[in-house]
Amino acid sequence: MAFIDEARGWVGKEFDTTEFELVEAEMLAFAEACGETDPRFVDPGHPEFQAVPTYTARFVGRRTLPESFPRPHGRGFDGGKTVTVHGPACAGDTLIGHSKIAEVYQKTGRSGPMTFIVHRMEFENQQGEKVSVVDWRMVRQED
Amino acid sequence: MILDLHAHSVKSDDGRARVETYCQWIRKRQVPIDGFVLTEHRQFDDESDYRALEDEFGLLILKGSEVETDYGHVLVFGVNEAMRSAYDFSAIDLPLARVIEKTEQCGGVAVPCHPGRPTVGLCAHYEQRGAVDGVEIIEVHNGGSRAGEDEAAQHLADRHGYRGIGGSDAHLVSKIGICATRFDREIRDVDDLVGALRKGSFEAVTWRS
Repeated sequence: MAFIDEARGWVGKEFDTTEFELVEAEMLAFAEACGETDPRFVDPGHPEFQAVPTYTARFVGRRTLPESFPRPHGRGFDGGKTVTVHGPACAGDTLIGHSKIAEVYQKTGRSGPMTFIVHRMEFENQQGEKVSVVDWRMVRQED
Repeated sequence: MILDLHAHSVKSDDGRARVETYCQWIRKRQVPIDGFVLTEHRQFDDESDYRALEDEFGLLILKGSEVETDYGHVLVFGVNEAMRSAYDFSAIDLPLARVIEKTEQCGGVAVPCHPGRPTVGLCAHYEQRGAVDGVEIIEVHNGGSRAGEDEAAQHLADRHGYRGIGGSDAHLVSKIGICATRFDREIRDVDDLVGALRKGSFEAVTWRS
């Protein structure tokens, strides 16, 4: 079976669950590194203190691809992440990240054919509230 | 009437611009176009309805697609169900001759875009494998072209007698309308656009500095 067909067979299947603690000091350090000045992100005393919207993009699960996912060919590089925020990520919360392959697609560009594997991590807090969705595009370029 | 015939929104995997933001930019910056065509990569967006934005901003917003063939990328206008059944928009190796033939049979127009671009443009493939019958129009001004690429496209058009269109290939808000196509007639919908491309008079225009 061709790589693309085999890979597409994994789309939509959850393959990893990881938990992350939201630590105030780490949230502040991240906000500072982003250059944030909004008190909601840099003042723990603010009534709406929370992590900056892109915070969950820093979390990586135990696996980036399913264990028996077909081995992609070619050179790999990071195609970037898209974060969709659904609710606040608050200090002291536990986030549960559910990983699945959201999409596998191909395209051609100036440098030739590429395969995009979209790893989606959906985060909910301990109360089951959806916090964010992070789509990470992993690109494989044929040699 | 001037239309940007090649633009991408967030519906494309690499698009970063929302359609509403394109409209705001066009009006705020007085970009000299009357509308644009959303040509999302490897798909036809049949979900989005931009009529409210058309009314609010006084712009024509049409939809087409950019598909991928063995001779590079191709804009298709006049997309309908028959066309979507005739070939797989998500494929990256569609035979160009088939795309042109089927698009025309289904009432549309196929236009190879950014011909001067390496790998995904017509020029390089013509050099290696020769010309393809059925091509009548190519994109001679593309907003994403690097130095020499539009010149190569124009040279190809001159050599084969192709007519030329222009499109920004915008993926970012600030790029919308930097290349476009001027028509000699009013275009109100996709049918008008297809008719104008098939029989009308038009020219590619650019405001690239």
